Amino acid sequence: MFDPDTLGRTAPLPLAEPTKEWAWGNADGAGVKVAVIDSGVDADHPLVHGLAGAVVVEFEPDAENQVRYVPGPHEDLVGHGTACAGIIRRVAPRAEIYSVRVLGATLRGRAAVFAGGLRWAIDNGMHVLNLSLSTGKSEWFGPLHELADEAYFRNIILVSAVNNVPGPSYPSLYSSVLSVAAHPGSDPWAFDYNPAPPVEFGAPGVDVEVAWLNGSNLEVTGNSFAASHIAGLVTRLLSKHRGLTPFQVKAVLQAMASNAR
Amino acid sequence: MVTEQQNDLARLGDAVGPALRPVGHQALLTGIVERIRELFSAAACSVALLSDDETELVFEATSGAGADAVIGQRIGVNRGIAGWVAGSGQAIVVADVSQDPRFDRELAESTGYVPRSIVALPLETERMVVGVLEVLDAGSVTGDTARDLHLLGILAAQAALALEGSLVFGRLGAELLAATGLAERPDRTRRPPGDPELAAIAGAFQRLASAGPAQRRLAVRVLEAVCDFGATSP
Repeated sequence: MFDPDTLGRTAPLPLAEPTKEWAWGNADGAGVKVAVIDSGVDADHPLVHGLAGAVVVEFEPDAENQVRYVPGPHEDLVGHGTACAGIIRRVAPRAEIYSVRVLGATLRGRAAVFAGGLRWAIDNGMHVLNLSLSTGKSEWFGPLHELADEAYFRNIILVSAVNNVPGPSYPSLYSSVLSVAAHPGSDPWAFDYNPAPPVEFGAPGVDVEVAWLNGSNLEVTGNSFAASHIAGLVTRLLSKHRGLTPFQVKAVLQAMASNAR
Repeated sequence: MVTEQQNDLARLGDAVGPALRPVGHQALLTGIVERIRELFSAAACSVALLSDDETELVFEATSGAGADAVIGQRIGVNRGIAGWVAGSGQAIVVADVSQDPRFDRELAESTGYVPRSIVALPLETERMVVGVLEVLDAGSVTGDTARDLHLLGILAAQAALALEGSLVFGRLGAELLAATGLAERPDRTRRPPGDPELAAIAGAFQRLASAGPAQRRLAVRVLEAVCDFGATSP
């Protein structure tokens, strides 16, 4: 469990001035492409205001990798993807947000569709992937691990929500991703580093107000909202410091953590 | 390559599996939702299982407000909070569902209880998505929403394992073929065709398990007579 009360302190990088001002002061996310791999995004929601692109990934058993891609605008089937996009937009106002919808009418082929969403994001030049989804199926450990490694070596940052239910949860348990759990608080700039992984970061995700369907807002709790906070911060960081690698991003975040001494 | 004989064995296994299923499965499931409802002083708690074609969630066990009306209700996985939880494998708490335009107020009203808040967690194992656990208008056990969710997650993991065991018994033959490497692991949409008569016989065996010795002896004599008749008739 990610427990904010027992985190202790963590030694940050010995940077001369490891300040948040250095990390993302005056940055706005411009030029950074973020994929929200989720239920779709309502581009017209006032807290989202616009998408740079959108694609639906559908299960197609006979197709290559069992998926087909339908580019173009789509609705959010649930509201969750809109919530994540709104959180990212708040932190990184000029980010280029893409909606990659991987939920549909059936859960059949769910993991294949999820992997297809990751594949699309990697192949289409995304810089940050916001992942609120996971699977516990052991047969998908390998394929998803390969995709996560490929993203890592191409300097693509995967931000993954951890699972509240004990047990396997891929890709959030891989070392190549930034795994995030929810902690209380509403300050989007405040987050913790957990020195006892696999959960590495804690960010606002408890009783947070988020964008939802038809222009509405909802008060929600969940690790997925915390992950979007970190995805937004990473987007902002990358817009100011282009080309940082995943391990450099992790190091900067660790140095900026509220519990770093 | 699976032979016809192995397929026959799989069909027999699928039929016999339910007869071997641990007695008290439903009572266990009901017990889980009742305990969770009590623990969290919630208005209601329910478990919905993923349908065979993986397009719907079907309420299997409930406790509390509107419980009887909810059993058997079906909701699509492509819309709303519960569907997202099943699809994403992530838990979520919504403080006021009336603010969600996609909240199915009609369904809630038909049960006689309209909740304000919903906690929904996935029921998932290493082998399958089983369904979703929902708690309506839950109080706090720990005084901390994140800790409450962690506690519920542990309970959901236990419930998912219990349910998985039961589901595997329901398709025992196909699972055995997969386990021995003779066939692909079955998913919900690729079961071998069932045999309703074998299933009925297996069901009768399950009932006989709790019958007295006299009834069992009678059943054996009847079955032997049927088999003898089958062997002598053209």
